[in-house]
Parts: sequence; C-alpha cells; structure tokens
Amino acid sequence: MLSTNSKIALVHLTSKVKQTIVAVLGVTFGISMYVFMNSFMGGVNDTQTTLAFTSLAHIRIYNDGPDDNTNLVKKVYPANTLANISNARVIQYTEGIKNSAAILNLVKKQPEVIGVAPQVNINVFFRNGGNKVNGTLSGVDVANENKLFNISTYIIAGKWDELQYRPDGIIVGYDLAKDLSLNVNDNINILTPDAVSRNYKIIGIFQTNVKSVDKTKAYLNINSARQLLAKNEDYVTDLQVNINNFENTAPTVSRLAPVIPYKVESWQMANQQLEAGSKLRDIIANAVSFTILLVAGFGIYNILNMTINEKIREIAILKAMGFSSGDVTNIFLTQAMVIGVIGGIIGMLLGFVVSDVVAHIPFKIGGLNYLPMGFHPKDYILAFMFGLVTTFVAGYLPARKASKIDPVDIIRG
Amino acid sequence: MDKSISLKASNINKFFHEPEEFQALKNVNFEVKKGEFLSLIGKSGSGKSTLLYILSTMDTDYKGELVINGEKLTGQSLNQLAAFRNSHIGFVFQFHYLLPEFSVLDNIMLPALKLNKKSKEEIESDAYNNLKLLGLPEQALKLTSKLSGGQQQRVAIARALINSPSIIMGDEPTGNLDSKNTNIVFDIFKELSHERGQTIITVTHDEDFAKNSDRVIELSDGNVIKGH
Repeated sequence: MLSTNSKIALVHLTSKVKQTIVAVLGVTFGISMYVFMNSFMGGVNDTQTTLAFTSLAHIRIYNDGPDDNTNLVKKVYPANTLANISNARVIQYTEGIKNSAAILNLVKKQPEVIGVAPQVNINVFFRNGGNKVNGTLSGVDVANENKLFNISTYIIAGKWDELQYRPDGIIVGYDLAKDLSLNVNDNINILTPDAVSRNYKIIGIFQTNVKSVDKTKAYLNINSARQLLAKNEDYVTDLQVNINNFENTAPTVSRLAPVIPYKVESWQMANQQLEAGSKLRDIIANAVSFTILLVAGFGIYNILNMTINEKIREIAILKAMGFSSGDVTNIFLTQAMVIGVIGGIIGMLLGFVVSDVVAHIPFKIGGLNYLPMGFHPKDYILAFMFGLVTTFVAGYLPARKASKIDPVDIIRG
Repeated sequence: MDKSISLKASNINKFFHEPEEFQALKNVNFEVKKGEFLSLIGKSGSGKSTLLYILSTMDTDYKGELVINGEKLTGQSLNQLAAFRNSHIGFVFQFHYLLPEFSVLDNIMLPALKLNKKSKEEIESDAYNNLKLLGLPEQALKLTSKLSGGQQQRVAIARALINSPSIIMGDEPTGNLDSKNTNIVFDIFKELSHERGQTIITVTHDEDFAKNSDRVIELSDGNVIKGH
C-alpha cells in the first residue's frame, strides 16, 4: 500500500511519461558512462599491472652498493673544509646478499607474503658470432620464479620447467633471439663483466610483450649463474617478494627494512611512472563520469523545476487542504528518487552491455587481443550510489522550492 | 468560552507592503456561531478575500487574534496550521482546483488519506456518500478534467466535506457557475449548515446568494460596515 504522498508522486511521474523517460534516460546515460569509463580504465590499469608484474615483483630486496664515497674527507672534517680529490677509487665491496637463506626465511614468515624468488642477476653481453647485445642474465629458482611472475605462460618455444634440469640451458627473450639470429637448440655465448665467457644452449624462448624485457633478458638456472660467477651456493643478488595485495606494499616494506641490512624497495618506489599513469587514468575517468552525472543532474533539476511550475496551483491546493511543507518536499523528492533508482538500474545494465561490446573490439598491440575491460562490482555499486546522490541533490532543490510555495499567493492569483 | 462559537476574530489588522504600504483590514472583530451560514460581501478591494484567507489560516501575516473551535491559531507554525486545516476546515474556491490527473474519487479522498484517521475503505465509502449528496455518484471514476464546470465545483465541495470539517470556507464558490448550478451549490451549503451544523463562511459577489444566507457581513476599505 503506497502512502498518499508516494501515490501523488507516482501519478505525476506517469501522467507525463515522456518527461519522465527523458529524465530517466539522463540518469541512465550518466551511470552507464560512469560504469563504462571506470571499467575501461580499470581494464587498462589491470592490463598495465599484469604487464608490469611479468618482470617486476611487488618488493625487491637487493644490495644497492656502497654509499656515495666521492668525498670521504667531509665525513671526518667540518663541513666547510675544502677538499680536492680526484680519481677516487672504490675498493672491492661485498656484492649480493650475504646470508640469504636467513633473510629468505624471515621474509617468508611475513603473513602477507605469498611468494619469494631468489635471483642472481648479472649484466652480460649476449654474443653470437659477430653480434653482441648488452643485457641481463637472470639466474632464477625455476619453480618460485614461475610462481611470482607466471613466466611459463609467456614461453613461446620450449618448456620453462626444463630449466630446472638443464645446467647448460638458457631461455632467452624473443627479440633478443631475433637480434642474434638464434633459435631453439642453438648455442649462445655469454660474456660476464669479469670477462668469463661461456656457451649455453637455448632451450626456450619467451615473449612478455614488454619490449625492454624481451630484447635484453635471458633466464638461467640459479645454480648455473652462481657457477658462472664462481660464487657459493648462498649467493643471491636479488630477493623478489610478492604479497597478497600489490597496492599495499608500504607496511611490509616498513616492517622489513629496519631488520634487513639491504635495500628493501617496493615497486611503487622503483616505478613511480607506472603508479602515476594509473592514478592519472583514474582521475580522467572520474572527471569524465562526474561531468556526465552532473549534466544528468541538471536534466533532472530542469525537468522537476518545470513540473513544479506547471503544478504550482496543485501544490497550493494540496497545502490549502492540509499537506505540510514536508509532504510537498516528500512528493517531489520521491519523484526524483524514483527517476534515480530506475535510471540507475538501467544505467548499470547498459553500462555492462556497452563494456561487454567494447571488450570484444579487437586491439592487437602489445600482446592484447581485445580492448581491455575490467568488470568490477565496485564500479557498478559506486556508479549507482553516485547516481542516487546526484538525483537526490537535483531533486531536493526544486522540491524545497515547491515546499515553500505560499498557497495564498497562488490561489488569489 | 462559549461552545456555540465556531470562529472568533479579534482586532484583525492586515498590511500590504508591496507595491506600497496599504492597510487592507482595520480592526476587524466578529464572531461566527456554529451552523451559521455567513456571507462576506463588499466591493473589489474591500478586503473580504484578504479576511477570508486570514480566517482560513493560510495567511499568517496579520495582527490580531484568530480562534477557531476554541483553539487559538494565531502564532502557530505553518505545519501545525496545515494539520489544523486538514481536519477542521474545508475549502471551495472560485476555480475548482481539482488535480486533473486524478479521478474524481481520488480527488475527494486525498484530504482524508492525508488525515489518515480512517481506513481506505471507510474513506472510499465516505467519498461515495459525499458524491451522492452532491448528485454525482456515477462520475466517481472519471478524470476530473472530463467533467463540466458545475460538476467540477460540486466535486470540489465533496472534497471539502470529506473530513467532516466544522467550517467550510468558500472564495466566490459560485463565481464561475451559471444560475442553475449556483442554486445547487447554495442549497448544498444551506443543507450543510442547517442540517449538519457545519459553519459556512463564503466570500461572494452574488447579492441573491448573500441575501439568502443567514447573515451578511459587508466590508468596505478594510472596515466592517454592516452585520456585526
């Protein structure tokens, strides 16, 4: 059983169906665009994140080398002492992470950590005959590396797991292999900074579609890498850590940094441009959708204002018959909210349909097949909420105006 | 206080400030008995409509005191007054002011639904009874915009009666009607006041209408000149 006020609101809405439909369409359009824009931006961000995390861990622990020692004098003497130092030489310092097993255990014990992969990364020259390419050779713990970076899904020739059993095997990036004119089962020569040269057999090729990775990276079993550098079995240059929520690295970093004598760096610190890009896209999406909702809000505001001007005598008579200002506000606000709810529901559906259609538009760049699209319930709920808030505000202002109508002025003319 | 007094207006003064300072009512004093059929007459600008809207509680911008059914209404809030009108006062205007998108029955029921003292079924049967009293039972489900002027005015009266108000106020209720319909409305008012004991206060230009009512108060330039 509808209340009397709701009944009047309903009659107003149904007696001017065209106007009501226009108002509902305004909201529908605003909300569907909000859903679509945010789904699209969300999809782009998700794709970006997936791409970024093919080679990037959430947290990286590494030895970032000795401090800046270009002026040792100032550490001992007062600040305004003049120093003249040239050709400073740095004595050999410890490379890599010492006592890596203990640190590995400590990191693994953190509840939010879902995977740790030790790496031995070496800057090398990849050589084939006269061709030389500068790049990174990554000695990896085969199973854990895959757990963190899903690298096996990017293998386009050979098998990732074989690396585990092949100390002479190497898996190289697609573009690197092409640049050196190499294929699976060919030999590749590695030259380390310490001038050690060794041949490996290519047992696989990967393609992440991140060009900088595909062009310069190759994977080796971690033990072979240690052997290449003549290091012990504990030698590790990097510990790559993944946690359950990649956005939330700060607490883990601040907890680990004081107890680990090496650099603990989150992906955000290392790649601020990625974060900036994702934040900027969010801002654009929100700005565009707010604008659309604002326009829809103005539509509702105008239509209700018109309705109120048309019905000013009826409002006056309702008040003369004993309807209070609150009743009048209620009647017009109910109309706005009905428009908002119906427009919101249709808008969410339309937004889903539009997103789904766009998600099927081919887009074959950078390893993508279709335009990226995220389908997150959060976007839909937020769109609906914003729609309701907009219609409430757009409805409240004219409703309040209606409630302030003085019946005497109107009835006496 | 005398139980037979329906309405008492004491020292009512009304000023208009726009477009220029003007006193529309000057110390108006009178009482109306229960069941009395009162006509307010006077020339245009004499203040009779202004007085009616003050008596109706819709206009609160006046000096003086208004008491209806022993309740002092001067100084009450707008929402209190709205609730008071809802249960105690019925209105009939020169124009019917029915809601065109509602059926006749819905229009009549609206004030009672707002009052919310009876069930919907009771209100509906009351509304039908009122329509019968006014000779329109077969129009109940039509939209009000489909009725003739006289029928619309009778529906407006049926609406005014739905909450059994103690006072019915009319602002030229017959101003737009032909003589036949005017007589119908007059007879209804007469019946309401004499048989049901409802007080009727109407502003009218129609001298015959006024002459036949129980009592006439004539205003001129904001003063009551006849019928204290």
